Order: sequence, then structure tokens, then C-alpha cells
Amino acid sequence: MTIVAPHITKQPSPPAPVARTKRSRKLRDNLTGHAFLIGAVVCFALFMWFPMIRGIVMSFQRTRRGETTWVGWDNYTRIVADPSFWIAWKNTFVFTLLALVLGYLLPFFVAILLNELRHFKGYLRILVYLPVMLPPASALFLFKYYAYDPSDAGLFNAILKVLHLPTSEWMQSPGMTIPAMVIASTWMNMGGAVLIYLASLQNIPGELYEAAELDGAGVARRIWNVTIPQTRLILALLAMLQIVATMQLFIEPLILANGAGTQDSATSVAYLIYQHGFFQNDLNGAAALGVIMLLVLAAFSAVYVRLTTKQD
Amino acid sequence: MTRTLISQAQLRRGRGRFLYWAVLAVVVLGFTLVFLGPLYWMVTGALKSGQEIAQTPPTLWPRDPELRNYADAWNNLDLAKLMFNTFYYAAGAVFFQLVFDTAAAYALSKLRPAFGNVILAAMLATLMIPAMVLIVPQYVTAIDLPIVHVNLLDSPWAIWLPLVANAFNIFLLKRFFDSIPEDLIAAAQVDGASPLRTLWSIILPMSRPILGVVSIFAVTAVWKDFLWPKLVMPSPETRTLSVGIYAFSGGTPQNVVIAASVIAAIPTVIIFLVFQRNIMSGLTTGSLKG
Amino acid sequence: MSTPQYRKVAALALVTGLGLSLVGCSTKSDDDSGTDAAGKTTITVDCQPVGAQKELLANWNADVAAFEKDNPNITIKSVSVGEQCNNPPDFTARLAGGTMTDVFYGYMTDLQQVLDSGQAMDITGLVSKDTIPTWDSVDPALKEVFTDGGKLYAVPVKNYSMGLVYNKTLFKKAGLDPANPPRTWADVRTAAKKISALGGGIAGFSEYSAGNTGGWHFTAELYSQGGDVLSEDGKKAAFNTPQGKQVLQNLKDMRYGDNSMGSRQLLQWGDLLTNAGAGKVGMFIGAPDATQAIVSQFQGKYEDWAMGPMPGQDGPAKATLGGGEGYFFKKGLSDDQVKAGLKWLAYQKLTPGKGQLDYVRAKPQNYPVGLPQPLLFTNGSEAQKQELDLRKANANVDTANFAVFEQNPVPIKGEPRNAQAIYAVLDSAMSGVLTNPNANIDELLKTAETKVNQLQAAGS
Repeated sequence: MTIVAPHITKQPSPPAPVARTKRSRKLRDNLTGHAFLIGAVVCFALFMWFPMIRGIVMSFQRTRRGETTWVGWDNYTRIVADPSFWIAWKNTFVFTLLALVLGYLLPFFVAILLNELRHFKGYLRILVYLPVMLPPASALFLFKYYAYDPSDAGLFNAILKVLHLPTSEWMQSPGMTIPAMVIASTWMNMGGAVLIYLASLQNIPGELYEAAELDGAGVARRIWNVTIPQTRLILALLAMLQIVATMQLFIEPLILANGAGTQDSATSVAYLIYQHGFFQNDLNGAAALGVIMLLVLAAFSAVYVRLTTKQD
Repeated sequence: MTRTLISQAQLRRGRGRFLYWAVLAVVVLGFTLVFLGPLYWMVTGALKSGQEIAQTPPTLWPRDPELRNYADAWNNLDLAKLMFNTFYYAAGAVFFQLVFDTAAAYALSKLRPAFGNVILAAMLATLMIPAMVLIVPQYVTAIDLPIVHVNLLDSPWAIWLPLVANAFNIFLLKRFFDSIPEDLIAAAQVDGASPLRTLWSIILPMSRPILGVVSIFAVTAVWKDFLWPKLVMPSPETRTLSVGIYAFSGGTPQNVVIAASVIAAIPTVIIFLVFQRNIMSGLTTGSLKG
Repeated sequence: MSTPQYRKVAALALVTGLGLSLVGCSTKSDDDSGTDAAGKTTITVDCQPVGAQKELLANWNADVAAFEKDNPNITIKSVSVGEQCNNPPDFTARLAGGTMTDVFYGYMTDLQQVLDSGQAMDITGLVSKDTIPTWDSVDPALKEVFTDGGKLYAVPVKNYSMGLVYNKTLFKKAGLDPANPPRTWADVRTAAKKISALGGGIAGFSEYSAGNTGGWHFTAELYSQGGDVLSEDGKKAAFNTPQGKQVLQNLKDMRYGDNSMGSRQLLQWGDLLTNAGAGKVGMFIGAPDATQAIVSQFQGKYEDWAMGPMPGQDGPAKATLGGGEGYFFKKGLSDDQVKAGLKWLAYQKLTPGKGQLDYVRAKPQNYPVGLPQPLLFTNGSEAQKQELDLRKANANVDTANFAVFEQNPVPIKGEPRNAQAIYAVLDSAMSGVLTNPNANIDELLKTAETKVNQLQAAGS
């Protein structure tokens, strides 16, 4: 994605003034430059760079009764030996994959659809964005209490009953836990993505569609040959953001499943970090799990960079 | 009207026209059900008694609508305070991100001080690191800030400062500033303008769309964040809406929680409806070019 | 500068001003010594009732005012930490951040965690009859819970034991005798079947399985079977036994054999009580004050509820879970501050006729007097007699509702070490048996055992 400043007619640049002494000017420029950077750099140092190192250090330590000792790989062996460890990773990956299919592709097609409709434009856009207006916890309580109520008093089950379809216990049924979280998460989050797609769709030059149509391309072909290539960058960017966001799955299990859900069916890696750190009083173990997650994402982003640079 | 996927002409002809109206009807109806339906259920559900909500099949309209849940929610959960906190944190987040990230992106794009590239690389390296990975060391840092030894818990700085460390914003802003012609800045310098003056009177006025985008992202980040504010704002007086409602849910009947959610959503929805043109155009004409 | 830019400057200035002024407000004045020049001692105390608990809050504030009048040298600063005074993750976060109040609330199960955080203060030398007049009457078993290595770290202020809470109205409707609650798990099962047959989404018996409450109740039910959670040295899990299996089997039989537990599971504290308040729960395991929460927080009615003893497998329960609360002291307080804190606790929590034991004041309020709680004082002690007399004289709930519970005492057993972490693990076994018709009980317990063993190995 590039954001480009409005085009400005170039003015002829006047000849550069003669520098008094080159070195002192350079020093001054450097100082000014760093002065502008300082705010952001301090924040990055405090809340990104330093915690990264600190997280790694913590993962090899253990703090008990106010005393910190080095414990080697103990925290890692303990974290990996936790029976929930692999389940949490599996759940997180399944959620990420399902969310890619539903939460990532759906907004794109919704945006294409909305872009074609010439009536009720504003109304439809507001509708899609409405759930984003709810505090995330509220949206999830709505699903938890009403939609996913496992009894027949639940909204979804009542609808399924009317349609004579089998009802589900939703969050209580291990097989449905993750799909149910994906549905809720997509409903409450898709508004933002739809708007961004709509924005980029409007920048596609109409002539391209015209040309494709003259070549005899149908709707599907036109999407494939014009829409997708034209929005390729934004699609790639949102894919990355979406994956990073879904890997952090936390509030959905916390609220919809009251935590781990049925036999860990909702436990995510992020929830496990929270559980170790703040339920089991094991900040060091949680830090180790954080480092493992960091490595997995680093590997993932290496692959991502490989793939995207190859295409260019 | 610009040409989109399907040509206007095609939609005006017989079959295309029929299809268009059919699709439109389905979409309008479907979207209303999917997006407005749950909200209707929410508003009316909170009017029902505990007994009625547990009843099969559920009632479409509450039998004896009672406002008790709404009254309880408003009285028992200090909603006004929570809303104020959330908007206050969001306003601060916008302000600090605009100031620090714009300044940094400007320095990296135009002033290019020594080691600028190293700093930029170190910032971009954090782009793929989700908040969750660093939550524990970040939390430990916020409790006891290195060197100065200040505890940031329950202080809005604990929300504002980490949000400034946003590589994505700096990347967006820098890309935008990069596209502003160098000559323009050189011309200003000849006129004796200081870097600050150049940023203020040349760069910023041209950057409104991108500043709008950054602001929207900042507000959304505060609005959507949950675990971080839950950890660093442990007192009931400093909570955000989302965290407050969650904490409230532990000791409250479900319908009252839903009623609180409805009330909490009202100001945001109103703000959105009032500013929707600006927000939409911020996102659209912010020329997010694919 | 063009006009729009002026506007922007103005907006920025406004935001900055707003920011600075508010930051100014939130800056806390930290006075470490807690004693000012005039010799006034200030302490902060948490667990002040929240605004929703109007009468409790008013009582608390009145107590603070009265106490400060009696002790002009002491200033109490009250802090409310939310609906639940101790929500495990928030509690952990406060401990880690050192943001607890000077005198802070904790469960009996929290001692280990407070010690681990390095925030506990040894108050052994300061607690005596001088600071807490009723101290010698306080049940030694409760003091023991807050003692580690011969040192006392907290003052107990509430103690409860669990039994079977049941809805009399539903009992009557189902043709059961409301004066004769089930005494064994088999009786519970029969009664649950009858109650759930009333239909309308009523659960005959309801049980937790999330938010640590599942593990908490598993422990209580395991005790009723005569089992234990940890081995004697506290290092290994001891619940993967026939007793542990029986607990889960009982629940599985009711949930899927009889379908008498309703379809809503994965419940935690508030969820079950919401359903109970709505009249959809026949029986559940709980402490006497669960009825108070049902009424004051969850829109229920006192008349509906009564309590019997903890059921046993083939006869009376072998034991029941007891738990409670106390106040810890933050490390680094001055002696004066600790003494001030102790005096406050003595006044508000441990004096019959005052504070939480002021039954005359509580009688007309929407809070129950007459519950067989808080069980703070030793049997036969002077303080116990006073407290009991006052309670009887001012009871506003029918004490008959709790008679069966009181007349059939079951041995009380405390919670295991590191309880909250263990409860989180056991939630999974409970949720398994309550939501999966094909759950394998042996496997559930085996997994939980592995996890708890790891936890204990890491914690020691």
C-alpha cells in the first residue's frame, strides 16, 4: 500500500546556498533530525526494544519471593511439557486459517458487492460498520448470552429449529468452538476491512474493466484479472495484518468460552500466556511462551517476505 | 459515476436490471438481518426479565418490557466514567501518535540524520511482533520504568506511550512524506524556514489525508484493545469501556450486562453517524492506493 | 498561516491543555511513611463495596467515619477494586505491580502467592489483644491458614464452609420435601431428575466449569468423597483416584444420563447465580452467602432458598470445603501503620455488634442476617456467644432455612496450596464431563494430574 501525496508541479529549484562550513552544518542537521526522532525512539526503546530483550532474559530466570535466579531452559521445558501447549498452538492455527477464509475473503467480496450497488450505499456501509462501534467485550457478550446460548432459548438455535435444522451447543461443543469464535470475530471486525477494500476498489480505473469486458471476460474473470491484481498490495498488507491479529486470539476465548472452553477447545497461545502469567503466577513461564511465539512469527514473516519479494 | 466491475449499461437492460434489483433486495434485507438483527435482539433482550430470556422459544418482543436492567446498568456500572476514560485515552493516543510519529517520519524521510536507516530498520522490525508476544515484559516495564523508576499503572501514559511505538504509522507517514517533492522543501529552506517550520507549513497541510488515517487507526486501537488496558488500568476508576463491562459481567445478571453494552454503544454510534462522512472519506479519499 | 491552520493549532493546544490538566489530577501523592508531622497515620484499605452495593457501601463509609472519630490519629483511605474483591488475574497483576493497598484483601488460598511476590509482611509481633480485642477468640485454625514458617501474614475476616443450596419453591413444585434436602449424591440425582422434569429450561442441579470455579467445586465434591487434591507433602496431585472418578461420574450421570443439569454449561460464578436468580436452578453446591449474592446482585428472592449439608456418596459427606478471606499487610509499612490497620480490622470485621457484625443495622437492609456465617470465633468463646446472640436476635431470614445445614455439621477441610492455579487446571476436567457426552473420565483426570504435578514442581 502506498499513500501518495497530491501531485505538485515542480518548481525550479534555486541553486543551493554556499555552506559556511560543511561539518558544522552537518552536525546541526543531525542534531535537528534526532531531536525530531527522540519522542518515537524513546517510546520504541521503552515499549518495544527493551521489552524484547527483557522478555528473552526473563525467560531464563525465575523470580520467587522477590529473588531472581537463573534457571537455564527450565521455563521452556515446563511450558512445552504443559498438555495444553500443543492444543493451544493447534487451536491458534486453526483459528488463523478459518479466519483467513472467512474473516479475510468475506470482507473483500462484500466490498466488491457493495461497490456495485448504486442504491442504499450509505445505509449498507453504516450497517457493516455498526458492530465495530460496539465495545469488543459487548459484542462478544451479545454472542455469548444470546446467539450461542446452547439451550433452545438461544437465538441461533431458535432459528435453526424454525428451519428444522439440527441445533448446536456452540461454544460447548468442541467441534464448533473455533468456528463459532471465527463467526463472532468476523462479525464484529469486518467493518474496517470492508471500508479499506472499498477505498482501494474506487481507485481502480474503469477503463481496465472496459478493456477486459471487450476481451470477453465475464464477471469472475474480471475480478481475477482486474480487481485482484489492482488491489494486490492492499490484499497482501491486510493478509499480513490479519494473520498477526488472529495469532493473538485472546478476548474471544476469554469471553465466549470463559477461558479455556470445553477441555481446552478454546485455549489459544495468547490465552495460555495470560493463564501462566496471571492465573498461575508464572510470569517467567509466560515470557518463555512469548519468546516461542516470537520465533514462530519471525519464521512466518521470513516466509512472507520471501513470497512477496519474489512476486515483485 | 465511474465504471466498476459491471457496466451501468448492463444493469439497465432487462435481465441485468432484474438481477440487479433482486441482488439489491437480498443484500439490503440480508445485511439488515445480519448486522441490525443482533442489535435489535440486544436492545430488546435487555428489556426482558431473567425468566423470559431463558424461555423456549425466545420471544421476538419482550412480554413485559421493563427498564429495570437499563437503570441497574446505568446506576451500578459507572458508565459515564468509563466512556470518558475511553474517549480520553483515544484523544491522547491520537495526539501523541500524531506528534511523535509525524516528527519521526519527517526526520526519517526528509532530514535523514546519521543512523536514520538503522533506526528505521529497528522500528520496522517490530512490525510483525504482535502485542501479545511482549505483553509480559511490557507489563513488567510499565510497572517499573527503567532508569526513572516510575510506575505507570493506572496512568493514561501507560496507554499512550506504547501506542506511539507503532511502526506501521511511521511506515505509512514516511512513505507519504517520501512522495512530497524534495524541491518544495529545498525552496522553503532557501527562504530560511527551519525544519519545524517546513514541517508545519509545507508538509502537514499536504498530509491531511494520511493524518486522518493515522488518527482513525489510533482511535480504533484504543477502542479495540482489551488485555493491555485490563492489565495496566486495574482500578475501576481508570478502566476502559470494554474492560469495565467485562469486569462488571462477573457479578451481574446477563441482561444487565447487555443493557450496559447497549448504553455504552450509543455515544459511539452517534459520533459515528455524525462524522461518518469524514470517517468514510478519510478512509477512501485518504487515497489508500492498492 | 491560513485560517484552517490556526484552527489546528487551537485544537492541538486544547488537547494538550486537557491532557496536562488531567495528568495533573491523576498524579498520586505517595507518602511512604504514612505518618505526617502531626502524628496522624494514614493507611489505604481495599475491598470497599462498589456503588452497586448501596447499603453495604453506606455501612462501610459510616464505619470509616465512626472509626476515625474514635481514633483521631488514624485516617483510612478506602479503595474499591471492583465487584469481586479478588479476581485472580487482577489480584496477580496488582501483586506483580506492587499496587495493592497498605492493607489488602485476599483469599485464604492466596498466602503462597503473596509470599512468592515478596510483598507479604510478617505481622506476628504486632497482633495481640491490644490491637484486636477479640483475637484470642478467633479460631486458631483460621490463624493457621495465614501462617507460614511460624509467622503470621494476615488477619482472617470471614470463613465459610460449603453445603447444598437448594430452591425450596422448585422443590415444592417437583413434589419434594423442602424441609428435607438430599443427603447423598444418589438423592441429589433423584431430586435433580424430578426438578428438571418441570421443564422450561430448569436445571435440577447446576455446576461450574470455568473461571477457576469448576476446580473449586471439584475440590469440594472430592472432599465429600473423602478424597484429597494434593499428596500430603503438597508436591503431587492426589485426585486421580476412585474418589476423583466418582465425582466426575456423578456429574456425568446427571448431565448425560438423566439430562438433569440443563444445557447451559461452562458456567462461572455469575453465570450460575444469574440462572439461580431467574429461578432456573434447583440445587447447587455453595456457601451460605451464595443466597446473599443471588438476592442482592442477581435479582432473586430469599424466600426461595435454603441449605442442607454437603452430600456424601453413601452417607454423610466425609468432609466439605472451607474457605475464607483475610487481610494482608503490604511489606514496608511502619509499625504504626500496621497497628492502625489491625485496629481497623478489629473494628470493622472482628467486633460483635460493629462493622460487618452490626446486625442491628443490617436487619432492615436487603442483606441477610442469620446465615450460619462467618464462623470466625472458636466454639464456646465469649465473642462467639455474643455474635450468635446478636445474630439470632436480629435475624431477617428464616434461620430454619439453614437449620439442616447447621444441625448436620461436616468436617471442614481447607483449600489446597496454590489453589487458584490448580482450580484453573481442574476446570478443564469439569468442562469435559459437562459438555462432552463421550468424555473419558480417566483421561480427563490423567491430563489434569500431569498439569498439576508440573505446576507443583515449578512452584516449589
